[in-house]
Amino acid sequence: MPLSWALFASLLLATAGFLVGRSRAFAVAGADSRVLHSRPTYHGYSVALTALLPALAILAIGTILRLMDMVPDAAVPVVGILALLAAVAGLGWGVTRIGRGFQARNAVERMVLGLLMLCSLIAIVTTVGIVLSLVFETGRFFQVYDWKTFFFGTEWTPRFQGNSELGIVPLLWGTMYISLIALLVAVPIGLFAAIYMSEYATPRIRSLAKPAIEVLAGIPTIVYGLFALITVGPMLRDYFAEPLGLGSSGSSVLTAGLVMGIMLIPFVSSLSDDIINAVPQSLRDGALGLGSTPSETVRQVVLPAALPGIVGAILLAASRAIGETMIVVLGAGAAAQMSLNPLEAMTTITVKIVSQLTGDSDFNSPETLVAFALGLTLFVITLGLNIVALYIVRKYREQYE
Amino acid sequence: MYDTSRRVENAVTPNDIKIQARNVQVYYGDKQALKDVDVDIQDKTVTAFIGPSGCGKSTFLRCINRMNDTIPIARVEGEILLDGEDVYDRRVDPVQLRAKVGMVFQKPNPFPKSIYDNVAYGPRIHGLARNRAELDGIVERALRGAALWNEVKDRLAEPGTGLSGGQQQRLCIARAVATSPEVLLMDEPCSALDPIATAQIEELIEELRTTFSVVIVTHSMQQAARVSQKTAFFHLGNLVEYGDTDDIFTKPRDSRTEAYISGRIG
Repeated sequence: MPLSWALFASLLLATAGFLVGRSRAFAVAGADSRVLHSRPTYHGYSVALTALLPALAILAIGTILRLMDMVPDAAVPVVGILALLAAVAGLGWGVTRIGRGFQARNAVERMVLGLLMLCSLIAIVTTVGIVLSLVFETGRFFQVYDWKTFFFGTEWTPRFQGNSELGIVPLLWGTMYISLIALLVAVPIGLFAAIYMSEYATPRIRSLAKPAIEVLAGIPTIVYGLFALITVGPMLRDYFAEPLGLGSSGSSVLTAGLVMGIMLIPFVSSLSDDIINAVPQSLRDGALGLGSTPSETVRQVVLPAALPGIVGAILLAASRAIGETMIVVLGAGAAAQMSLNPLEAMTTITVKIVSQLTGDSDFNSPETLVAFALGLTLFVITLGLNIVALYIVRKYREQYE
Repeated sequence: MYDTSRRVENAVTPNDIKIQARNVQVYYGDKQALKDVDVDIQDKTVTAFIGPSGCGKSTFLRCINRMNDTIPIARVEGEILLDGEDVYDRRVDPVQLRAKVGMVFQKPNPFPKSIYDNVAYGPRIHGLARNRAELDGIVERALRGAALWNEVKDRLAEPGTGLSGGQQQRLCIARAVATSPEVLLMDEPCSALDPIATAQIEELIEELRTTFSVVIVTHSMQQAARVSQKTAFFHLGNLVEYGDTDDIFTKPRDSRTEAYISGRIG
């Protein structure tokens, strides 16, 4: 039997505790409720929380222990009964605490603070857990595979019979090449759009165009992938690759890069727009007051002032491009190779992580474990980019606040 | 360049009219911010605009170099003549106008560039110097003109934002002076400064008057009395009284002016 009945009963007890606590506080106060330190409602909350929190803690610990097989199934009702007993005891204790001098408001605030801290702790612990699991699996991979071949090998040919070549270099090359093309598309277009929005557009146009650009940000990446697969890819093949004799592949680095660039435009433009708007109006007035044209003002005063923030925005966009998967799967193909020709199919780290982990796989072979090493490498790269970007953005913010 | 003997001379000789405003009306959307303003601003004179907050004095100042153009809802009617030419004429390019009519703002707003590049900004965009040596000369003269040269001559390459508030404001004055304007508009240039920096700026205004016509908006009546020869009193969008500073402060003709300078309104 699941523990939900115990949870439900504890919630009922807590509600009852709230009502009992509040009415008891009114009774203690008598005619003038100002003799109480805290308002009766806080006494109610205090009783409800003292009843609920211990029960929740017991239920949570019980569930975790059961998942770890440390509690037999037969003992589950015992956990539920324990939780209920704790709730009743907490309720009783909470009610006895009610009195004129009891600082119920402060007690409730402390419990709420604890709850908020617990939630942030969960986010942090989860991140640490993810990193640790990556690190352990990567460690197992390097026990069965030479790290020098992994980091410097230029061949990527996994074979499920064993004896695979698992060099990251071709994947890293594909990732960087596609990301570079994406940034070459997204940065100028996004930045110029942001400049138009913040410096030239009338409020009316701005109120229409800004949401229209941000619609792009709401499109799922798989839809962009479809666009790459059925529209951009064949178009590039028919009009560029084949006439120029550069290849006959429908999926290419250029396809994935272009589509990914389109995906990143709203990202770059809305970040840059915020940053350009944060440049004080007084600087624009100063430049215009000296007789600069609007474009001189933008080029020589606004952009230099916003530059660190814009660099930060570009780095954040880069880390998104590096982590992108679906557009690459559908747009660039799955062939791990190194070439300068942008019309050839290549692939990225993320795509290979997916393909190494899907299908029947033995979780002890290097062919599978390599996915974790790839994931960790990717994580380290994007983490580095994010740290640099956030550092730059923060440094920029301090300049004007 | 700033000969002190000329200053005395200027104070006695009658000056030419530099700016002539006739029947100026300004609207922000539906709200009228200035009504029927007529004023003659003389060359090589300091003219002070005083009045309570929201009276339209800054609005009028910003009409003279068409800075109100940057506010989409602002609309200006009437005419403002600079040397007999209407600045709101279709043929006038606000960019060229602003090169002739410099402006110093309430808050010091140095660009995030070096001290040198701040001052050289105007001359560069207007192509006033043919080579580096000429530009160096312009920058030095402007910084000397703003009484800042001795304090910054050894650190021209450092960022202008690193200076103190008073120095930043003098840097902004130097930046405006470097484009050799004919009129210098100052919108409460001392409101963000301490008394010592204020005194330095006031001294500077006195010197600048020998070269330009200076129009200053100020909240401080003492400042208007100290630095200006002419004073205009604005109230609720009207130009109430305009005349010699001494007359305005000693024998105002309008009861509202008297009420303001004696501290009963505003």
